[in-house]
Amino acid sequence: MTTNSAVRVAAVGDIEEGEALKVPAETTGRADAIAVFHDGGAYYALDDTCSHGQASLSDGWIEGGEVECPLHSARFCLKSGEPQCMPATLAQRTHRVEVRDGEVWLHPGEESAG
Amino acid sequence: MSAPRGIAVVGAGLAAVSTCDALRARGYDGELVLYSAEHGLPYDRPPLSKDVLLGKSRREDVLLRPAQWYDEKGIELRDGTPVRAIRPREGGLELADGTRATADRIVLATGGTPRALPVPGGDDPGVHALRTWEDAERLRERLLPGARVAVVGAGLIGAETAAVAHALGCRVTLIDPVPVPLAAVVGDEIASALHSRHSAEGIEVLTAGVERIERRPGGLLVRLSGYGGSVAVDTVVAGIGIRPAIELAESAGLIVDNGIVVRPGQRTSHPNVFAVGDVARRDGHRVRHEHWEAAQRDGEAVAHGVLGLAVPEAGASWFWSDRHGSRLEAVGSMADAERRVLRGAVDTGAFTVFGLRGDRVVAAAAVDRPRDIKAARRIVDRGVVVDEGVLSDESADLRTLLKR
Repeated sequence: MTTNSAVRVAAVGDIEEGEALKVPAETTGRADAIAVFHDGGAYYALDDTCSHGQASLSDGWIEGGEVECPLHSARFCLKSGEPQCMPATLAQRTHRVEVRDGEVWLHPGEESAG
Repeated sequence: MSAPRGIAVVGAGLAAVSTCDALRARGYDGELVLYSAEHGLPYDRPPLSKDVLLGKSRREDVLLRPAQWYDEKGIELRDGTPVRAIRPREGGLELADGTRATADRIVLATGGTPRALPVPGGDDPGVHALRTWEDAERLRERLLPGARVAVVGAGLIGAETAAVAHALGCRVTLIDPVPVPLAAVVGDEIASALHSRHSAEGIEVLTAGVERIERRPGGLLVRLSGYGGSVAVDTVVAGIGIRPAIELAESAGLIVDNGIVVRPGQRTSHPNVFAVGDVARRDGHRVRHEHWEAAQRDGEAVAHGVLGLAVPEAGASWFWSDRHGSRLEAVGSMADAERRVLRGAVDTGAFTVFGLRGDRVVAAAAVDRPRDIKAARRIVDRGVVVDEGVLSDESADLRTLLKR
């Protein structure tokens, strides 16, 4: 899997706590868009399209280290991408996010430390 | 009571697979056998009345779990193996081929069978039901462009099937004796908006009962009561609910009353037998909770019951239904509410109704408002005292109600 160069996606404060930003595939250079989540003061990134259905996780409910899919309520761990309940059975790919000088940088294709 | 060493799960729907999943997740490492009367890997049912009928999803797209999952979890899947009887006193069960199998705990996840139309001709082969993969395949072959289709029952399955048949180019008549189906569950506003959508899309909607179905050259004649007329069609689909599959429980002497009666931990009246999913009715609840998430939660609850662990509190129920490109979701039951508060405008097609009792939300229903529903579930489950102004004000973030 190729690693794309880092993308500045937001300034700290742009993505509110409990919200997510959808970074389109054209920007990330990957097949899927990437959702960047802000939860519990930290940032996480997962592939945006739910591994179960055609839904955008950036529209999901973000709380307690998890995102709940807007369509069928599958929950994923923001840190590991692992599904926490059915109907999802496959993990979401993770991407590393870095906060540097007040800016949020996404490293598409680079797995987060987990 | 001794710890279980052999558990038999009878059935192969979501409740059965969730049971196996939860048992392993809670540390059960003994024998675990899933008995499925159907052939093949267990599949998810909601897509049957949606993408499967539309021809967008194949069997492998709707499997609950991939084949290797059963191996990894040490679950023996015995498909094509109906169970003839359970014998909890003898620690086992009897299979349809007459062989015996041992199990010191039995989980019944037998689901239900679609109710047949209780009228003359209701058993005609041109009258379809929709419950299994095979049902969906058979029906899909009939939903050809131009086919005349009568759907009897405008509840969840009926409404979804009518919408899909319409999308496939069928000429659809939707028949229900109730003028506004689902009103008790989701409230009048949403039920009316959804039901009127059928006719707006071009489906003929009739408020009538069915008196009889007659086979005629080239089709079926559905004779209506109340309305008085009749409808000539090629295919009839009956979506009038299910009858719980209680036979195994009943012949084993378990307490059965509109489903297998269960107490916390999904316990039946026999200490070694449990029941989950559509076949189970919680003691003290009037209705069986025949929804996807209820089946999943039952699996979690029964794992606790079987393993003797404290059973976690279940939150408000939730279900969804897709029709004409719109999505209905509901939390709790609107019948429990004293009054309703509207968020958003009905004529925009996307809005939410909250049902309140005192100063708390007990139910919510929405069309195309997933975030409102997710907030509502948490507001209900956490017993938040709400400010009605925030509920009805679209510019107010519902999450503020949860940050107290």
